[in-house]
Amino acid sequence: MGAHISVPMYQRAVPQRYRLVGLRCRNCGRVNFPPKGVCRYCGVGADFEECRLSGRGTVHSWTLIAGAGAPPEFAAEAACKGSYPVVLVELDEGPRIIAQMVDPPEEGPRIGMRVEAVFRRIYEEEGVIRYGFKFRPMT
Amino acid sequence: MAIVGAGQTAFGDFPEKGVKELFAEAYFEMLKSVDKGLDPAMIEAAYLGCLSAGGGFQLGQLAPLLLGYVGLPHVPAVRLENACASGGFALYAAVCAVASGHFKVVLAGGVEKMRDLSGQKGRYWLGVSGDTEYERLAGCTFAGIYALMANRYMFEYGLTRRQLSLVAVKNHRHAVANPKAQFRRAVTLEEAMEGPMVAHPLNIWDCSPTSDGAALVLICSAELAREFTDRPVYVAGFGAAGDYLALHDRADITKLRAARKAARAAYERAGLGPGDIDLAEVHDCFTIAELLAYEDLGFCEEGKAARLLEEGHTSFGGRLPVNVSGGLKAKGHPLGATGCGQACEIFAQLRGQAVEPSRQVPGAEIALSHNVGGSGGTATVFIYRGGS
Repeated sequence: MGAHISVPMYQRAVPQRYRLVGLRCRNCGRVNFPPKGVCRYCGVGADFEECRLSGRGTVHSWTLIAGAGAPPEFAAEAACKGSYPVVLVELDEGPRIIAQMVDPPEEGPRIGMRVEAVFRRIYEEEGVIRYGFKFRPMT
Repeated sequence: MAIVGAGQTAFGDFPEKGVKELFAEAYFEMLKSVDKGLDPAMIEAAYLGCLSAGGGFQLGQLAPLLLGYVGLPHVPAVRLENACASGGFALYAAVCAVASGHFKVVLAGGVEKMRDLSGQKGRYWLGVSGDTEYERLAGCTFAGIYALMANRYMFEYGLTRRQLSLVAVKNHRHAVANPKAQFRRAVTLEEAMEGPMVAHPLNIWDCSPTSDGAALVLICSAELAREFTDRPVYVAGFGAAGDYLALHDRADITKLRAARKAARAAYERAGLGPGDIDLAEVHDCFTIAELLAYEDLGFCEEGKAARLLEEGHTSFGGRLPVNVSGGLKAKGHPLGATGCGQACEIFAQLRGQAVEPSRQVPGAEIALSHNVGGSGGTATVFIYRGGS
């Protein structure tokens, strides 16, 4: 089929997808998310402790994925909505992550806006609903 | 090292040809281009870029399959994969192999068969060029990743929608004069600004197409070059580098660190700088990518790429023409073939052979090619010097 996320592969990342579990480097103290084998900040630390991210952050960039350009597992959603927003968010703890945005303001997402992670249904494939995080504007 | 032969198919939609036929066509054109002839038995090794051989029908050992098809079953041949930079890395491996002294005559090339894929399968497969596990699960596409870069660049530097479209207009205009190009059709600024949206702000005219094609170059040691031709094209500098595959792991998304590092290595090795370049073939998989390339390659200061474009410096006839072939945008982008296809264009340009119809850059002596994997996870840069 090509590039798709199998159920076992998805399951291994459940702590990240469901609870935003990151790794704090015991050498430099900074938080890696998604997890790394060697700290991406100090480049040497390989010993980590788990920590849960707040889910709060700031939009660093954004796009709208148009219906015809969506990946096949998101095609139904794009067809229904016409397009959907995707944001690159800088979390307050430092790492950046990409996710969809829910309840975007009428004028669309904008750089610098404050957002928070919410737990949502992402898509369905191989008969399994894949849950994870999306971002919504902070109130 | 020198390039003494080069051949490529036209890029485009070829329902009647598979990877073997495409490869053979490029191979025979390469043989014909060697001025004093090449005994194929002299070829000691082959490095071929390919992402997926038509969506994965030939999972393993593609390179020996292709070499066997042209009567060279015993040549050690290997397929290399770094997404859209597969061809650049094939060329890099070939140049390193000759530079090491282990081989004297090697092939570098690439092939891709993309048009056989259904739209749905194609979109599945192109998702792999970034960090699939996190980028794809956000419902983000490859165009979406470049769109995130474009929107941030627009925010930081005030780039406009119109300026993005000017890249498409320029490269389509260039492609009209290239018999190997997929789209030999000019596009107006109005058309380019109003195409169907793919990932805001990128519309269909901001995106390179899916293409079939193959390209090959023959590399030999500098000492041997004159045995094959009186007009070799020397590889004066070469560089390659990597970066985090995921856009979210990069500190700055308005520059490609892999391309900057590869360019620095290539300039240093060649003893040349951006001001010495007479023409460049750069990786314009999306219009924003060509603008980022101007800055990553040192053609202008940060944030000034649109000005360089608007003032016409990178158009045919300007002081540093970029993508006179039409680029990925209009010449086409058969992933694995793209990097060596750039070398084929430069081989013709630096030998004064880009003349039917003329897209020849007058008096070109030094050229550069820049090939990027995914959204900047990998990159190669080569600098070439004409030898006639």
